[in-house]
Amino acid sequence: MVYAQIAAEARGLSHGSSDLFPISAIDRTDEFQVGGGDEITKEMNTYFPVFLTTILFYSFINMESSDSNDKGNIDQSEAQRRSQLDRLDREEAFYQFVNNLSDEEYRLMRDNNLLGTPGEITEEELLRRLHQIKEGPPQQNSDENRGAESTEDVSNGDSIIDWLNSVRQTGNTTRSGQRGNQSWRAVSRTNPNSGDFRFSLEINVNRNNGNTNSETENEPSVEPSNGEDLENSQSDSETPRSESPSGGQTASERNTSEELAAEEAPSHRGQRRARSRSPEQRRTRARTDRSRSPINPVSEAPRRSHHNTSSQTFDHSLVNEAEGSSRTRQHVTLRQHSTGTEMPSENAALFSTPEARPVPQAAGSSETNASGESAAPGQRPPTIVLDLQVRRVRPGEYRQRDSIANRTRSRSQTPNNTVTYESERGGFRRTFSRSERAGVRTYVSTIRIPIRRILNTGFSETTSVAIQTMLRQIMTGFGELSYFMYSDSDADPSGPAPNQSGDAAEPPSGGGTGGGSSNSEGTDASSGEVYEGSNEGGSTSGARREGRNTRGSVTFEESGSLPFLSLAQFFLLNEDDDDQPRGLTKEQIDNLTMRNFGESDALKTCSVCITEYTEGNKLRKLPCSHEYHVHCIDRWLSENSTCPICRRAVLASGNRESVV
Amino acid sequence: MQRASRLKRELILLTTEPPPGITCWQNESRADDLRAQILGGEGTPYEKGIFNLEVTVPERYPFEPPKICFLTPIYHPNIDSAGRICLDVLKLPPKGAWRPSLNISTLLTSIQLLMTEPNPDDPLMADISSEYKYNKPLFLRNAKEWTEKYASQQKSASETLSEEVNQTEASTPKKSAISQKRKGSDTSIREKKSRLDS
Repeated sequence: MVYAQIAAEARGLSHGSSDLFPISAIDRTDEFQVGGGDEITKEMNTYFPVFLTTILFYSFINMESSDSNDKGNIDQSEAQRRSQLDRLDREEAFYQFVNNLSDEEYRLMRDNNLLGTPGEITEEELLRRLHQIKEGPPQQNSDENRGAESTEDVSNGDSIIDWLNSVRQTGNTTRSGQRGNQSWRAVSRTNPNSGDFRFSLEINVNRNNGNTNSETENEPSVEPSNGEDLENSQSDSETPRSESPSGGQTASERNTSEELAAEEAPSHRGQRRARSRSPEQRRTRARTDRSRSPINPVSEAPRRSHHNTSSQTFDHSLVNEAEGSSRTRQHVTLRQHSTGTEMPSENAALFSTPEARPVPQAAGSSETNASGESAAPGQRPPTIVLDLQVRRVRPGEYRQRDSIANRTRSRSQTPNNTVTYESERGGFRRTFSRSERAGVRTYVSTIRIPIRRILNTGFSETTSVAIQTMLRQIMTGFGELSYFMYSDSDADPSGPAPNQSGDAAEPPSGGGTGGGSSNSEGTDASSGEVYEGSNEGGSTSGARREGRNTRGSVTFEESGSLPFLSLAQFFLLNEDDDDQPRGLTKEQIDNLTMRNFGESDALKTCSVCITEYTEGNKLRKLPCSHEYHVHCIDRWLSENSTCPICRRAVLASGNRESVV
Repeated sequence: MQRASRLKRELILLTTEPPPGITCWQNESRADDLRAQILGGEGTPYEKGIFNLEVTVPERYPFEPPKICFLTPIYHPNIDSAGRICLDVLKLPPKGAWRPSLNISTLLTSIQLLMTEPNPDDPLMADISSEYKYNKPLFLRNAKEWTEKYASQQKSASETLSEEVNQTEASTPKKSAISQKRKGSDTSIREKKSRLDS
């Protein structure tokens, strides 16, 4: 059985956290050394924060639209012809460029994913990238470069998929970019042993609030590779700082000052503050999944309605229950910091909302919340982290894990406040958890999807309903997450709270953690990202992200601002390779012999591009002695392991040769 | 992706030296949308039929196989009613046998071959397949009927009606006539087959 596990995690940082926990800064640095160091290896086995989810959604849609465009464009054959010609020219230029690179340069470009797509990238751009990569450390460069490229990615969903695929084979990769005041960074890791793949994407919103470097982010939720999600979240909360910073990223670096459009009405704020929370929240009920599932259908309805109401109220800016509750909420938070107790209960309420609600709704709520948030004094740049994990689970194991999950849930009294909620619906297992420690609140939403199911129902079409459903689930989960974040800080669980009683709330036993965070209270919830859009037909989607800070909010431009991936394709591809790895790693590819084509060679043609070799072309020779252009065969070998001509396994025969 | 330059070359090759019994051309000068015709092989129930196919070239071509499907209905164990073809070279490894050294021309040739020699052990249409296996005369009759009904040259030439044949280009008869002259001998096909199978 193959399961994809996707966890979305959003974190908000408290203002002063960096001061209090210098360690986190260190973590960050470590994090940047992607590809090297023990820390990272360890991480591979444990955790991967990823943005994927979001992005996935996008690419999916994008592909669709481009398809339809294609179909609609038949008339414009003239324009098309011209663009085809342009493309041809660019392709030629691309090959020339690649051929003129030295081995080292080529490798550098390839490994940093700077080569892009032949025909789409101009030679000048390539040259520019090359210079950049040579001048500075790859990381920084890639930041800038990615920014530029993200646009391209939007227009061509495949490239990320390619990247993703190559990444799956090759291990750790980092990619990042910046756009406007958001910066994103994607990290992926592959565990060669288990075949597990994790991808994390993190989005930062920069603000110019002057608190630029204050935050230290990364609370890596640590995930034992075999571990259960809940466990993870808990362990997260328990040992947040010490854990290796998986996807985490330095928000501080990214924080350039940027003005945000002021959107919010500060007025809400004062109101919010006033009330104190009732003890309702005190409920400490850890429930097992089993016990809860029967109730789900019932409880769901109320929950939903709750959502509706809350969002409406906010929308119309009616101050009432919701508002009141939010006030109380804050109060609670404060208390929590000092005592470490009340918080969870409230969160529980929040968490109880996870049943998939209509995406649009989620959007609505986030918006409203955002508005509420403006009031919040918090100053830390919000960070959103999405975590995608794909891992193989054998049926037996899965069951076992389930039981573990239940157990963990029931004993949720970790020293830190962790609240988890788990639901299972239609084969999608979702887990939400929230943990708080020292002013950093971490939300983790996990959705497990049995891939088999998807494939069975809609194998033939990537656009199948099943996948859409999956996407919707994921996106909904994410939307909810952001909702939680918002609502946690200032929204309103009061009315609905009773309904939620079923949710596990934990007694926050660890009072000690509270110390540092007391002032940061308002700040924990950071920004939310909401994807709205109907998946039906894969038509359109909008992404919106509101940064909540003093009074700014950032609106994400639709898909343009983010890289995206095609979840569907990715999973389908992933399914393909069941247990044997499909492609070669970069190292394996580099081990194959390479030479320059010389005049003296008999005239030969690369059978991948059907182009004759010309003087100076770089060729790679496979063990079967078939030769190709380096850039042609590398690409094929990153996804496949056989010779395009004779289909002999490149690796096996390579080994044989080395033995000889 | 080498798509554009490679496609250009392939198209030149396809027009200058098309495989016997096969024609392929660009549909309305769109680079990624090709049309092809395969003539039913002699001695098969598809004889004298002209089968239209749609070839869609993906962005990642040649690292991904083109998508090919029949526009003309065909009664065949490995081709379903929507025209989808069950053939290993049309799929990516590890399940399939696509590789970048293949091209549109070779794919069309393998499809032509598949028409000549259905593979009932890997059926897409279970009923047709069992018919092929256990009641061959019936299969032959049905296949011939379909060929006459949907793929016969006279029909597509004389009548513009019938939705099934709608897709057929006006130029069809001429082209097919040309290619009919070139209709290859079985031996050449066999050769190709063995190459593909290797």
